[in-house]
Amino acid sequence: MAFSSVIGLVIRVEYLSEDESLSLKEASEICLKCAVCCVVKNHFCHVQFDGQFDAKNTYVYECLGAEDPSKNPNIWMCVSCHKCEEVCPYEVSPVEFIESMKARAFEMGHAHPMILGEVENIASSGYAFPLTASSRRQREQLGLEPLGYGATEDVRTISEKTGLAQRLLRYKEAKV
Amino acid sequence: MRYAFFKGCFLPVRLPHIEKISRNVLEELGVRLYDVEGFSCCPEPVGFYSSDKLTGTAIAARNISLVEDEGIDLLTLCNGCTYTLKQVNSALKENDELKTRVNEILADTDHQFKGTIKIKHFATVLVEDLGLERVAKKVVNPIEGLKVAGHTGCHIVSPPEIMRFDDPFDPVVLDRMVEVLGAEPADYEFKTLCCGWTLSNYGDREAGYKLLGAKLGAMRDAGSDCIATICPQCFYQFDTGQALAVRKLNLGFKLPVLFYLQLLALSMGYSLEDIGYRRHRMRDPVFELKLNEALA
Repeated sequence: MAFSSVIGLVIRVEYLSEDESLSLKEASEICLKCAVCCVVKNHFCHVQFDGQFDAKNTYVYECLGAEDPSKNPNIWMCVSCHKCEEVCPYEVSPVEFIESMKARAFEMGHAHPMILGEVENIASSGYAFPLTASSRRQREQLGLEPLGYGATEDVRTISEKTGLAQRLLRYKEAKV
Repeated sequence: MRYAFFKGCFLPVRLPHIEKISRNVLEELGVRLYDVEGFSCCPEPVGFYSSDKLTGTAIAARNISLVEDEGIDLLTLCNGCTYTLKQVNSALKENDELKTRVNEILADTDHQFKGTIKIKHFATVLVEDLGLERVAKKVVNPIEGLKVAGHTGCHIVSPPEIMRFDDPFDPVVLDRMVEVLGAEPADYEFKTLCCGWTLSNYGDREAGYKLLGAKLGAMRDAGSDCIATICPQCFYQFDTGQALAVRKLNLGFKLPVLFYLQLLALSMGYSLEDIGYRRHRMRDPVFELKLNEALA
């Protein structure tokens, strides 16, 4: 059991040796549940509109407090607007924590399917969105140059060098 | 005034009519845009860049390096592209170890990040490089009588120490840009609230509609005739997303949305047809009438 859950703090995730690179700063441990980040009108986190959250169980508490945050599907709703970080009176940076969890989830093959699709698109073509016949036609009608695939080879080279291409292949094989 | 034009991928693929009018308006303002061969996605910040920072950093560094070869700064039309590219540009300029690692990754692509240029959103170019006084001189049809709800968006303002555009909790720059066109900026509740794109797409769609309903209701209560955005994805959420939300929530009203450069184009003498308004999902005859009266 994590120390923080014994003494009643929000964060419950077990610390790992590589957490330094995941930016799980000590500040994350001192979240005092003041809820400023999620319930102060006009400054609050947009995810609070999801019915599962309220002032007692805010989005940030749920992300920081999950047993295994990288398997928490809610992490993908964070838009990285940094508002939580800006308003926190104790300099906790939930956005850094959530982004680290996204990276860990992605590494483990738990990415949101739409995000996985987007990453695959970029890694294979250089574009996040597929170039459809409709977009080609619209560009032509407007007299705009057709979109090319000038980046594709370089992006594939980069993805292979960082290991992303191999990870994507692994996920695909695991699915089959 | 010359810039390398970073189109991104959402705008040229989904909203080419906005790319078209943006090019025309910027050129008329004396902002020369250079198309650089070989740009990829920035990459997109919420899905890609957050999920794989190293690959994301290397891809962004490659994009920046293409412009460094040209020796000019880079102009974007999108908050998300600006966010990724500025974060990477800043991180690599400050961190030699990361820069070396990224350049090792880029070695096989024959590109290297040097750290010699700046990344600029078009709004920064209008406000800081060109100056709003020069923009005002191009306004031949002030859109007086129109109240505009400006939605600045999230990624252009935070983190403020890197983005350096506006106050994340009290943004006023877009309002000043709207005033220059002769329109009145609307002061509305939930002004800094996200458009809800991520919530709608990666979370609960119903929650996304609820958020959009609250934000649109606040804009409407403040007397807004339309919305102005400076981000293509926010535009899309307020246009296509609103079309869905209107049906789901029985809103009973519509608020057309315009990309800021479309609004500027109207005040420079372009017509609704010229700016591609017929391609929008949220069209409203009441707004069109009021706009035409203002432009007459």
